[in-house]
Amino acid sequence: MSASSAAPASADRAPESQALAPPRRERTWLAQVGAGVLGLARTGAELYSIFVRTLYYIGFGRTEKGAIAQQMYEIGNKSLFFLTVVMGFLGMILVYQAGLQNLRILPDLTMLGGTFLELLVRDLAASIGALMLATRVGAGIAAEIGSMVVTEQVDALKMSAADPIDYLVKPRFIASVIMTTVLIVWSAGIATISGVATGYAIFGLSPQTFLNLSLVDVGDLTVGLSKCVAYGAAIPIVSAHSGLTTHGGSEGVGWATTRAVVNSSLAVIILNMIISAIGFVLFP
Amino acid sequence: MSGPAQASSASEPSFLHGMGASLLEIAQTAGGMTMLGFKVLHRLITFKFDGLELLKNLERMGVRSIPIVIVTALFTGAIMVLQAAPIVQRFGAQGLLGWGAGFGTLREIAPLLTALMINGRVGANNTAELGTMVVTEQIDALRILAIDPIAFLVAPRSVAMVITLFISTVFADVLALLGAAYAGWGLLGVSPSLFYNGLTSGLLGISDVVNGLVKSIVFGILMALSSCQFGLGVTGGAPGVGRAVNATVVASAAGIFVLDYFVSFTLP
Repeated sequence: MSASSAAPASADRAPESQALAPPRRERTWLAQVGAGVLGLARTGAELYSIFVRTLYYIGFGRTEKGAIAQQMYEIGNKSLFFLTVVMGFLGMILVYQAGLQNLRILPDLTMLGGTFLELLVRDLAASIGALMLATRVGAGIAAEIGSMVVTEQVDALKMSAADPIDYLVKPRFIASVIMTTVLIVWSAGIATISGVATGYAIFGLSPQTFLNLSLVDVGDLTVGLSKCVAYGAAIPIVSAHSGLTTHGGSEGVGWATTRAVVNSSLAVIILNMIISAIGFVLFP
Repeated sequence: MSGPAQASSASEPSFLHGMGASLLEIAQTAGGMTMLGFKVLHRLITFKFDGLELLKNLERMGVRSIPIVIVTALFTGAIMVLQAAPIVQRFGAQGLLGWGAGFGTLREIAPLLTALMINGRVGANNTAELGTMVVTEQIDALRILAIDPIAFLVAPRSVAMVITLFISTVFADVLALLGAAYAGWGLLGVSPSLFYNGLTSGLLGISDVVNGLVKSIVFGILMALSSCQFGLGVTGGAPGVGRAVNATVVASAAGIFVLDYFVSFTLP
């Protein structure tokens, strides 16, 4: 039914949703590894293709009034409460655990705030925030596009000579890059406030001592912000790919959503590793 | 396509009304999860659950998640060291790297990230499956055949999910420390034996490991109940399944962080 849009990359995942006995028996171990590698390479090529086409349509595509604003509302405003709760608790957990461990070695907690802020700016605000957005936004995009594929709306778009990448992926991509950055800056602020409150309430650190920005330099800020942009770009591309390769009714939509969450979370973790390593080399 | 959606968001009820409605919804979900939890507990105590189904789910949830857990844990360990690297270099405290990466990994990062990944893979999948069964009326068919859906579907899945997350966390603890040790060796020139010494020099105790594992059990119970609750409450065909999966993943992720705080706070 949706065979045209169900690209071959999902072929290696198909056995997971169906009975698993027959194909497993026939394939040798080596063939399985080979099939896995081929599937991975094919998925990579498809992700690259979607990414390049999205970039092309940003330059030369059609402009639909309000589409980006609506996606920004969907991605941004609707994630605000969720992200605020998570990052508020994250700030409290981090300061509490770090303070507790710090006290085991030396009783001086003056550097706790500075180190916390440095870690927050360079890594944790962006990465934990993006992992949360990968679950919320990624699942949302995949479920929406997946339902469109299953109900043949994407095929209808193709019949009308409209590329679904231009209509569906491009607005989400632009909205996600902008809103991820905005939301992560916001969530870093929330985590800082809850961290200050925890430091004051539990360890008796005054906010002036805690808000020690001497360790945060340009390098940390650059790494943190480039992470925001990279995650904001990766999440919609990976989830749109999962959505567009949906096949097989309502169960297929569920599978696409699952795959979107797992793959965009993995993308965040792998990008984090790469950008952190580059940052470590460039800004020692 | 964008027109009507924007219009409806503009003419929505007032902010206060929306807040009250979402508060009631959260209360309803939490209540439903508690009730489901008691029902599952009742089936477990009276041994009225399907053992074969439990084994099948353990294979599907646990064994199939191993690749994700391996990748996540190795990368996480390396990231921990990358983040600690400037601090270690600033103070020249190579010997403390094992301790720093160790307590962060064992107490927080390994349980948290493993739970988030398993939530994405297993929790979402579980909701999708149960939701599909509800939409295609398979649950009603079970009831007609006098098979208790909780004993046959929900209880085995819940137990399997808790066991999966617990074992995955043990696995992730070890692998993340391995990743951290080798990343420290490659990036900072801290030999793995020095890393191991830092890990076992007495600053870290069994309580740190237990702390992380208790968290994994708590997260597992939360994920199991929320994914089953959202899955059984699906309405409205294929789009409904997608919405339910989305709602489960979000609710579990937020719940994991909230519970993480309370567990960290109550355990010494």
